Amino acid sequence: MKRFLRIATICSSLVLTVAAVPANTLRYGGTTPPLTMDPHATNDFVTASLVRQVYDSLVGLSNAMEPEPGIATAWEPVGETIWRFTIRSGVTFHDGAPLTAQDVAFSIMRQKEAPLYRALYGGIKEAKAVSDTSVEVVSQQPDPILPRKMVRLFVMSAKWARENNVEKVPDLGAVGTEAHTLRHANGTGPMRLVAQEPGTRTTFEKNPKFWGSFPGNLERAIYTPIASAPTRVSALLSKELDLITDLPLQDVERVRSTPDYLVAEVPQQLVMQLEMDGTRDVALDTFDKAGQPLKSNPFKDLRVRQAFAQAVDAKLIVDRIMRGHAMVVGTASAAGFGGYQKDLDIRWPTDAAKAKALLAEAGYPEGFVTQLNCPLARYVNTEEICRATASMLARIGVEARVKGMPWPEFARMLVNGPSSSFHLIGAAGNSGDTQDTFVSLMATRNKEKGTGGTNWALWSNAEFDAVTDELVRTFDPAKRTQLYRRGLTIGKEQVHAVYLHQPMLTWGMRKTVAIAPRADSAVMLKDVVVKP
Amino acid sequence: MIAFLLSRLGHGLLVLFVVSVLAFLLGNVVGDPVASILGLEAAESDRAALRVRLSLDDPLVLRYAYYLGDLLSGRFGNSYGAQRPIVDLLAERIPATVELALTALLLSVALGVLLGVLAAAYPQNRLVRLVMTSSVIGVSVPTFITGILLIGCFSLLLGWLPSFGRGDVVRFGFWSTGLLTASGLKSLIMPSVSLALGQVALVARLTRAEMMGVLRSDYIRFARARGLPERSVHFSHALRNTLIPIITVSGIQLGYLVAFAVVIEQVFQWPGMGLLFLQALAQTDVPLISAFLIVTGLFFVSINLVVDLLYAAADPRLRIKSVAERAG
Repeated sequence: MKRFLRIATICSSLVLTVAAVPANTLRYGGTTPPLTMDPHATNDFVTASLVRQVYDSLVGLSNAMEPEPGIATAWEPVGETIWRFTIRSGVTFHDGAPLTAQDVAFSIMRQKEAPLYRALYGGIKEAKAVSDTSVEVVSQQPDPILPRKMVRLFVMSAKWARENNVEKVPDLGAVGTEAHTLRHANGTGPMRLVAQEPGTRTTFEKNPKFWGSFPGNLERAIYTPIASAPTRVSALLSKELDLITDLPLQDVERVRSTPDYLVAEVPQQLVMQLEMDGTRDVALDTFDKAGQPLKSNPFKDLRVRQAFAQAVDAKLIVDRIMRGHAMVVGTASAAGFGGYQKDLDIRWPTDAAKAKALLAEAGYPEGFVTQLNCPLARYVNTEEICRATASMLARIGVEARVKGMPWPEFARMLVNGPSSSFHLIGAAGNSGDTQDTFVSLMATRNKEKGTGGTNWALWSNAEFDAVTDELVRTFDPAKRTQLYRRGLTIGKEQVHAVYLHQPMLTWGMRKTVAIAPRADSAVMLKDVVVKP
Repeated sequence: MIAFLLSRLGHGLLVLFVVSVLAFLLGNVVGDPVASILGLEAAESDRAALRVRLSLDDPLVLRYAYYLGDLLSGRFGNSYGAQRPIVDLLAERIPATVELALTALLLSVALGVLLGVLAAAYPQNRLVRLVMTSSVIGVSVPTFITGILLIGCFSLLLGWLPSFGRGDVVRFGFWSTGLLTASGLKSLIMPSVSLALGQVALVARLTRAEMMGVLRSDYIRFARARGLPERSVHFSHALRNTLIPIITVSGIQLGYLVAFAVVIEQVFQWPGMGLLFLQALAQTDVPLISAFLIVTGLFFVSINLVVDLLYAAADPRLRIKSVAERAG
């Protein structure tokens, strides 16, 4: 009996300590956990959106995805290849140390060495503190969008990194011990990291010494990954969570119709598109109707490409498969990208008869058979999109055999090849600027020049390449706009890809929470207002 | 006896060897680790460097040898995704899975035995028959559906139980337990019940069959003749003799419970090994995937070994006959 009483006492004291939930706490959840708290080690967007609460980026990123003053208050080009950033004074790290220009230079050099950021910062030669308040970044080539790229450059304390033996980004896959930055952080951001329990829970608290404005009223926030969608929605509806960032499409109406809950959406920085082989003389996995391999590549014929663009009804896919939670896209750039041209964003009209005529003109009156490589998961409803595409193409006589692949397999096919002549993929510019889309996704694949690294269908157009070459060294905004327009127009007319839609990010939340969703999926904790 | 032990041990090692080969080959099939780690945008040179560091271009046999070396040293290497030593990851996650599986085992045995005894004692009782029949539903419905239904009922409608996670845990050295906090216990209820439900019918049926046999034996009749109450006859005299096969089956069941826990852990976001495994699959985290397979294999093999040894202890005939003779 005595023992029972003792255990009972222990238990009840534990219950009491647990029951005390601090005021103004946001409990939120998403699908996947952050992989690390090291801001430079991964480009996983869930990780980045959480890390952003603790670390400030050199150039801030506004809720409308525009660059704004952050750790740098101003920036200007100095000559062709140098940008000078003026560093904000009076900023302190969470451990109390003041932020210096050396910390900024150190962070740039640290992040640029991370393999996952090679595409974004690989062109940077050097970053150096030229005075107490300014840092110069030297790049190998002129880089007009460098400031925009710096919205993903997180500033870390050099001294802290040295003390904890993490001056270099931890080596992926290397055998060793756990790096300090995996669950510890020391930034200048609006929130401090209280605890990171890998795969389970991440806890933040307000940084009372934050340099900027803190419009919200949060004291604390807890992020929990919940992989199973029904459980995540249940956790929201049973009030165990206040907000979830990945509300499955089929649950949108249910959450919306529940009293005291609301659903908020914003277009994601992602364009879903069907890419077609633009280089090979003989297309892969493509046959005539009798089953004999075609001796040509139909996708190299502009008429075939235009036929595909007019056969696939993107509006129908948005309405039926995405249940309206997406926006039809007509160019390679979409709302929220730098360099987006709204007036050009008009998609090819859907016209099956015209498409069939174009196909006949190109020498395929009977159509042909091809394989549509389709990544399963990773993007929303991909399998359904591919099936719908196949049935729309069937109307013009093209039989597209959908080959669904789990993401690792799909990624291997692209990276080790690329060996696909027709596939669905989501395209996102790395820095959120259309220039990245031009350079990496659309320009002709060329290792020496470093272009077309993610041009998986090997589309190639000399005129477009010339526009891109000029764009990357043009600083004048008016001239740049002209080049963006020119490039987007070529991309559309030459059917670089069949553009489909821009998916929405959908958040579900209790009405006691006020926060607007962002296109980068970050819940900006400093802006969150919670009511009791 | 020693020969028997050795032959069993040899079998176990053989199974583990086969599992290790399969786990290793799986790593070559599921995707390209380099593409998974570095993503689509990495430069060619970074990819090549990583291939060299992970020794991906070495001959298959040589790579298997590296892999085996890692396994035998007990290190398992580093996880690509979590960027941590796999030993640490597993040590962190094993308590959650073990607590879940043991609780489910306890539940299923307690419920199953009770139900089985009642079914044997009162074969004509309508209520007992109804429960026995409906226990089949427990086997037929996949555990994840049971889990989702439970969440819908007890979290959404009633708001009594948490729908995800393990609640607060208390640490004792490397072991973390949720059994000592109110939130931990509450979190344990639904996952363990949905895991147990599938096994209740099995235990109940086994107990009933054994009980029926025992109830016909002489000593039970004598017990009844002595005027002992029915409850005492059933639960202390008859049950004792039916327990041995039940314990054996329970041991093997524990292996299945650990395996099914993968699904349940996903549904309830239970931070155990299964959830870790699914996250690893999504990231093509090959070292972690194969480590999980090896550990699960080890678990099964050890359980079987213990069960075999217990058999041998219980049945003298097994000690004399050699394995070859029995096979012949």
